[in-house]
Amino acid sequence: MSDELVSKTLMPGSSSPVVAGRSELAKSTEVTREFLAFELGSENYALPLASVREILKPPPVTGVPRAPRDVLGIISVRGRITTVIDLRRRLNLEERPLSKASRILLVDREDEIIGVLVDRVHQVYRLEPEEVEYSNVMGSDASDHFMGIGRPRSASRSARGAHALDDHSILILLDPIPLLRR
Amino acid sequence: MTGDEGSGMREEFLAEAQEIVEALSRDLLIVDQAQKEGRVDPQQVNEIFRSVHTLKGIAGMFGHSAIGALAHGLEDLLDDLRLERIALTPEVLDVLFEGVEHFQRLLQVDDGAEAGIDFDAFAKRIGQVLGAQGGGRSGDPLAMLDLDDSVLSVLTEYEEHRLRSNVESGVGIYRVRLRLPLLSIDSSLEDLKARVKPVGEIITYLPSMEGGDAEHIELVVLVASTESLRALGEAIAFEDASIEPVARRGATPVPPRAPTMTHPENLAAPPRVPVETRHEMATPVPPAGQNVSFDQLSVRSVAKTVRVDIEKLDHLMNVVGELAIIRSAVVRLSEGLRNTAGLRELAIDLHRINRGFERNLLELQNGILDVRMVPLGQIFEKLARIVRQVAREHGKEVRLVVAGKETEVDKLIVEELSDPLMHIIRNAIDHGIESPKVRELAEKPPVGTLALNAYQKGKHVVIEVEDDGAGMNPQTLRETAVRRGLLTPEAAAELTREEAYNLIFAPGFSTKSSITEISGRGVGMDVVKTNIARLGGVIDVQSEVGTGTKFTITLPVTLAMINALLVRVADREFAVPITAVQEAIVFEKRAIRRVEGREVLTLRGATLPICRLDELFGLGRPQEPDRQFIVVSEVGARRMGFVVDELHGQQDIVIKSLGPSLQKVRGFAGATDLGDQRVALVIDVPALVEELASGNELGRITAGGYS
Repeated sequence: MSDELVSKTLMPGSSSPVVAGRSELAKSTEVTREFLAFELGSENYALPLASVREILKPPPVTGVPRAPRDVLGIISVRGRITTVIDLRRRLNLEERPLSKASRILLVDREDEIIGVLVDRVHQVYRLEPEEVEYSNVMGSDASDHFMGIGRPRSASRSARGAHALDDHSILILLDPIPLLRR
Repeated sequence: MTGDEGSGMREEFLAEAQEIVEALSRDLLIVDQAQKEGRVDPQQVNEIFRSVHTLKGIAGMFGHSAIGALAHGLEDLLDDLRLERIALTPEVLDVLFEGVEHFQRLLQVDDGAEAGIDFDAFAKRIGQVLGAQGGGRSGDPLAMLDLDDSVLSVLTEYEEHRLRSNVESGVGIYRVRLRLPLLSIDSSLEDLKARVKPVGEIITYLPSMEGGDAEHIELVVLVASTESLRALGEAIAFEDASIEPVARRGATPVPPRAPTMTHPENLAAPPRVPVETRHEMATPVPPAGQNVSFDQLSVRSVAKTVRVDIEKLDHLMNVVGELAIIRSAVVRLSEGLRNTAGLRELAIDLHRINRGFERNLLELQNGILDVRMVPLGQIFEKLARIVRQVAREHGKEVRLVVAGKETEVDKLIVEELSDPLMHIIRNAIDHGIESPKVRELAEKPPVGTLALNAYQKGKHVVIEVEDDGAGMNPQTLRETAVRRGLLTPEAAAELTREEAYNLIFAPGFSTKSSITEISGRGVGMDVVKTNIARLGGVIDVQSEVGTGTKFTITLPVTLAMINALLVRVADREFAVPITAVQEAIVFEKRAIRRVEGREVLTLRGATLPICRLDELFGLGRPQEPDRQFIVVSEVGARRMGFVVDELHGQQDIVIKSLGPSLQKVRGFAGATDLGDQRVALVIDVPALVEELASGNELGRITAGGYS
């Protein structure tokens, strides 16, 4: 995976079913089947594919003084100033410097496209309903950006890339709207 | 027709109708003002009639029946008004203003039912004012005038009426002949109107068959004036113009004869004033059909203007920004080539071509900026309406004095300015200007004055709103701040007068305990201040108890592209808008003094407070460089020196806003793409100066804290 995907627009233009990825996202099992999996520390996370517009190799990021702590800074994406958040900071994970595998996902959050820094991008998974446990598995204490757990049964089947999951892996499914809320 | 075309046409209609309604409202205010001064301006009344008439026409064309019906009803009233069948009374004006309000509501919701307008009731009101006045007309004095029937036959009913009433009141009628270039006919006519206005009234223009050519048209203009021929000649002073009086005949009409204007010597009238001697040529008055070609002229000139979506201009400006980035890349390339053996000549050629490119780019940029500029008069007119409305609602008498409405500002600024100004004005009338009774007790004229004054000052535009009302009492402001829990009594007592006035901009502050419909709509002066700061501006207030209050708003002329000084602080690049930079000096660390816990310098005899940007922005670095600079900024009356590590020269930049998620971050006006994937934050100097200058308790309230 990774390099073929990098800088290639996954969901070009507005024709993508982004609308479906909005408020109904967490509930709609019909539409939200495809997820983009990525790595953050020792866990694998995934965002609905429909919400991810693009994957970038991180350009130099300009820090913004006085910004909230989890804001890494701003970049220019073809002339548009885009805010980048460090997902590690947002999820209260231990910080780590950028590596060669680091990527910025451009994620659609209703009123703004936000850059999301992740450690490494894996691949797209298509999850059948029985492969997903929805958020109530964690009880009512779970954060509202926590959408559920994905268990791709034959993870290696679809993975031709280098970083496929092994059979015991789980995907932490994230809901982009509450995740990226200010 | 597809839905898209339909909505495009609808937008076109709405935009055009909006323009007409704005003009209507403007003219109505002028008439209203004149009426208050006991004058009636017939030309202006006629303009209003024509606006409504046009509105009716286009409403019919686009099938907007509600607007059409409304226009139709008003048209009847206005027709009687301009023909002076009824008098212009305050009641009539009220109905007309109400009509304008209805138009505006209709344009917003696009449906009569949604607008909640009771058309029947309004029609009844029109009927009432019409019925309240009866009119009659008397004999025809036009026959006394030595005017050819062919002239009289092409006059419209209104023109005929004006001519008649001028003759009746003994005003002299003059015939002015002009030769105007077709290309600039509209502006020439405007010019003529403006010149005639102080000395008389234009009854009509008639195009003449003679004297014109492919590029010129000759017009015969009938002017009514009480001035002498010479005075009129001096007032008009058009090149190529000739003026002669239209003689009065005896009571018996003489038979029609050849056009009289060719034989002035036959009449017992003074000779024509030759503004310039010109050919004496028979000028048969054109048949009515000639009017058509005149209309075509104005249609043609209207077609020369286009409405452009501001976003398209923004897009062009972005492209210019990209081109500027490409240009600097080429410059770098050519500099690289120059040092390469054998390529020197190529480098010089490249450099030369690039200079031409740069020049044209600059021209393009200025051209786009120029298109974005609109006169402030646009919002001043809207404000005049608000003044009238609010004054009436509060039973106050207010005279609005406007100056500098031709001052030009970026269209976006004008749009964003309208709400803050409206709020300031509402406040001024509601809280500032006293009721006529109170004013008389205070020995002030019963009519309050609200002055709206705009002017350009360097690359800034200054707008002042000044009232001669009650003013603000600093002590009352301090007490209110304490009562609202904004300040401790001790902190309040320490505030200077100026700081006390600035309390009104603090969130949660309002001096009047009763919430009135107008001023108490949930937005306070803090919102006004924030909105103005968002435009890169500052607002200041001065007040004197019993004398009045003055708000001063200082704004940049444009937002789209600015010249900026690039600086470096702790290895980060920032852009400082050049409009905010007075000068840059070398930082003499030894010269620093501490006053009240703040670092200051003495610069040319005046104290300059210092701000270390690295500390302010919390930018760490291993060690402070030996050599640093100070960027001296001035905003309003306040100066501030910003300490930076390096100066990187000036560059034109396109400011792009930070995304919604960084909206709460104070101190940056946006960011700019410098090319090479580099992005620099643009420092919002007014906001920083403001924040730092009020570095006391007040500052913490008004700056809203850091996010």
